[in-house]
Amino acid sequence: MKGVLETPTVVEPDVDETVETSRPWVVVVWNDPVNLMSYVVYVFQKLFGYPKEKATKLMLDVHHKGKAAVSSGNREQAETDVARLHAHGLWATMERD
Amino acid sequence: MARAPFRPNRSDGFDVVLEAGEAAVLTRLCEELTTLLSADEGEPEAADPVLERLFPRAYLDPTEENAESDWQRLVHGDLLDGRRRALATVEGTLAGAELRRNRFELTLSEEQALDWLAVLNDARLALGTRLEVTDDLDLSGLDPDDPDTAPFAVYWWLGVLEERLIDVLSA
Repeated sequence: MKGVLETPTVVEPDVDETVETSRPWVVVVWNDPVNLMSYVVYVFQKLFGYPKEKATKLMLDVHHKGKAAVSSGNREQAETDVARLHAHGLWATMERD
Repeated sequence: MARAPFRPNRSDGFDVVLEAGEAAVLTRLCEELTTLLSADEGEPEAADPVLERLFPRAYLDPTEENAESDWQRLVHGDLLDGRRRALATVEGTLAGAELRRNRFELTLSEEQALDWLAVLNDARLALGTRLEVTDDLDLSGLDPDDPDTAPFAVYWWLGVLEERLIDVLSA
């Protein structure tokens, strides 16, 4: 017998929106023909505290692949990293992961 | 160039030796960068390719134009001030250098050395952008007496000097 106790409508949460706001941002450094390889390694060590091997590997990725992801975080963290990289003359941008 | 233009000293700083011609070029580069940066007052979207290279975008995604503007408003002033401060350090320390037998000798603290690194790198970025250098730039055939290639010689010299400084800073 239907009536008062009929199945209520279930409201699905907007899953896409929730996932969207929690997706991290990735900071990408792009290859450029001017910056010295030694300088890029130095900056990666200085800004991110990476050991020399990791900094060198990242630099080589930038050099050979044209770009490399160097850090990730929320929007504010990524914007800060981009500013610090720009302050050191590297060209960095940020994009959603 | 001196064999060791930058040498760590006993005060945790660095002794610098530049030939007179090098000091003159560096002073001139500082003046040109200072002029360039003052042209950038309040106009983060200037059309000069050198300014675009020194102050690039953070977002490539065209749907993030608002975030880009907000971020530029937030950071551009500080980025500009940082560059100016570094230039003032290099100009000031050069002006205080001692001339000895056609060489300029001066001392830098570690902090001042970092400013020198920033200025050398900015000068390379500016000159490299003006000269439209590419990854396969070959400077081996440079004729030092050819006025047309003089800027490339300066670009090459800046790279060698910067490498030397990175060597001592990384040691």
